[in-house]
Amino acid sequence: MSAREAMIKRMKDLPSTHLLGTGTPMCAGCGGLEALHEVYDVLGENSVFVNAAGCMTLLSVYPFTPFRGSWLYTAMASAPAGAQGVRDALDILLEKKRVTKAEDLEVAVLTGDGAAYGMGLSATSGAIERNLDFLYLCYDNEGYGNTGQQYSGATPHAAKTATSGGPRGFAGYKKDLFAIWVAHKPAYVATVVGAEPLDLARKIEKAKQLTGPRLIIALAPCPPGWGYDPKDSVDIGRLAVRTGVWPLKEYVDGKVVHTKIPHPRRPVEEYLSKQGRFAHLFAPKRNEALLAQLQAKVDAYWAQVSE
Amino acid sequence: MYRIRFHGRGGQGMKTASRMLGSAFFAEGFEVQDAPRYGAERRGAPIFAYVRADRAPINERGIIRQPDLVIVADDSLVAVPAAGVLGGMTSDTVLLINSHESPDTWRHRLNAQSTILVLPEPFEPEDHAELPYAGAACAGAAAQLLGVIPWASMEQALRHELAELAPAVIETNVTRARTAFERMEPHRGCVREGRAVSAADYVPPNWVEVPFEAARISAPAIHAPATSVEVKTGLWRTLRPVIDYDRCSRCWWVCSSFCPDSAINVDAAGRPEIDYDHCKGCMICVAQCPPHAIETIPEHDAQAAEGGKE
Ligand SMILES: Cc1ncc(C[n+]2csc(CCOP(=O)(O)OP(=O)(O)O)c2C)c(N)n1
Ligand code: SF4
Ligand SMILES: [Mg+2]
Repeated sequence: MSAREAMIKRMKDLPSTHLLGTGTPMCAGCGGLEALHEVYDVLGENSVFVNAAGCMTLLSVYPFTPFRGSWLYTAMASAPAGAQGVRDALDILLEKKRVTKAEDLEVAVLTGDGAAYGMGLSATSGAIERNLDFLYLCYDNEGYGNTGQQYSGATPHAAKTATSGGPRGFAGYKKDLFAIWVAHKPAYVATVVGAEPLDLARKIEKAKQLTGPRLIIALAPCPPGWGYDPKDSVDIGRLAVRTGVWPLKEYVDGKVVHTKIPHPRRPVEEYLSKQGRFAHLFAPKRNEALLAQLQAKVDAYWAQVSE
Repeated sequence: MYRIRFHGRGGQGMKTASRMLGSAFFAEGFEVQDAPRYGAERRGAPIFAYVRADRAPINERGIIRQPDLVIVADDSLVAVPAAGVLGGMTSDTVLLINSHESPDTWRHRLNAQSTILVLPEPFEPEDHAELPYAGAACAGAAAQLLGVIPWASMEQALRHELAELAPAVIETNVTRARTAFERMEPHRGCVREGRAVSAADYVPPNWVEVPFEAARISAPAIHAPATSVEVKTGLWRTLRPVIDYDRCSRCWWVCSSFCPDSAINVDAAGRPEIDYDHCKGCMICVAQCPPHAIETIPEHDAQAAEGGKE
């Protein structure tokens, strides 16, 4: 049990007071805010956030901000380009000795999935290509949350959104952003979820030690967008991991490693049935074919994962 | 022109109520504006929506400052200054509150000359964020109080706006709206049209002239960390988590790590403390606490026990 004890010890290492300010306008139970506050505790206050349009744009509405450092708002497609400008400016200041090494800041991009999986992809690709030293945090609530949960490139197959109704929900498939990012061979890519704070903290710590492009996707359970009671946010995030829907993994040194392989893997249905956006799969009649298809997709993913 | 303002919490359906009433007005041949106030319309947060209706084209824009009818879906908002429920009310304004307390109690409490009516929920929910039919009831009551919208138009508007919902849900909404419409029968037409306001009478606020300056000076920079603590999101809460310290096992991190809002801090001895000025009442801590040491109390009961938080 020594490994487990070590783990418990590490849990006690998680911060008990928090850097991110209270009083933000995010929804009660927002899984994205949960992930952000856990990330910020590890990342620290010597950071600048470059934020594309989305729910989290509302974090910093003059004169209020939950951050302890600067925050820059960019157009939806351009946050990584904004980060390039901030990084360049810091580098010039360092070179001119107007900023000391100790005063240097970590440049962090913060966007939703709409930006990360969609219109921000080319700016991200360019930033990785230029080997920009930055951290990208995408909170993935699987839709355009701020504007009323229209579908995005991150919306899972069969989910109901404001723009995908009917008995079969969203006809498309969730884009594999992890694989797209990894294909660029950046310094670090990881998936996290606020419901697994220890896994998240370790990954952010690791990313902090590295330089170059470091990209994180946080699954962000969203009570109004996904249709569930805010108190269930953590349970739903945890179920996403335990059913295998949201694989926790990282890419470093040219290899992909799964950091938490669910044993035994719970049926995907347990995750789906807790969310209003999948209610049409269960009522008025169970859609056995579609449920089996969703399960098969997850099974196929894990079949190619070597343990 | 009729100017109607709906107040509620995010999730109580005030935006839908304004649309239903707006559509009903439109069906009666009125020119109509209906809109929610755009912003962070989060669940539990105070929000408002408004409707303007007139036989003539409407040139007024923006939020309604002098309402003829104010409808409040959640009576706990009346005392919340940020909700602005009483803003611009005069003795001619009709105030309708979804409340179990009597109009006299409210008149006394508010020291108001206005016509005050109440429309109690048929049952008292534990969680005030769960008032799924309040929107329909408020719109139905408004139609009757205005006196210019017959039930048939109201019902048609309601069915049109809710068309995407399940049939049973639509029927419950119709029934609730109809009940509210009928309850308000004795007060039919008590809302009178407000005066037309001419742009010529507009008195600008006392603007402060700001000279044109370089961005370094004029940009809206924030010079202190974490200023968001000044925003009291505790007002959104409809349920209150309360820690039973006898049962809390000082696990150190569960409630504090999971609270999305950084509203639970743990001291050196491992004792968690909830910051009620900012806790939004998501109840994740209640669901996650391993020894189930956190209880749920309806916020209105908690405040009543504290002797009413005015
Ligand atoms: C170019 C552009 N198109 C549309 C919008 C309107 N808009 C603002 S936020 C938003 C949704 C963004 O979705 P996502 O990135 O997933 O963030 P979320 O709202 O879910 O937090 C949209 C479409 C915009 N700001 N810019
Ligand atoms: S809509 Fe979803 S992601 Fe956006 S603030 Fe609300 S809970 Fe968070
Ligand atoms: Mg999104």
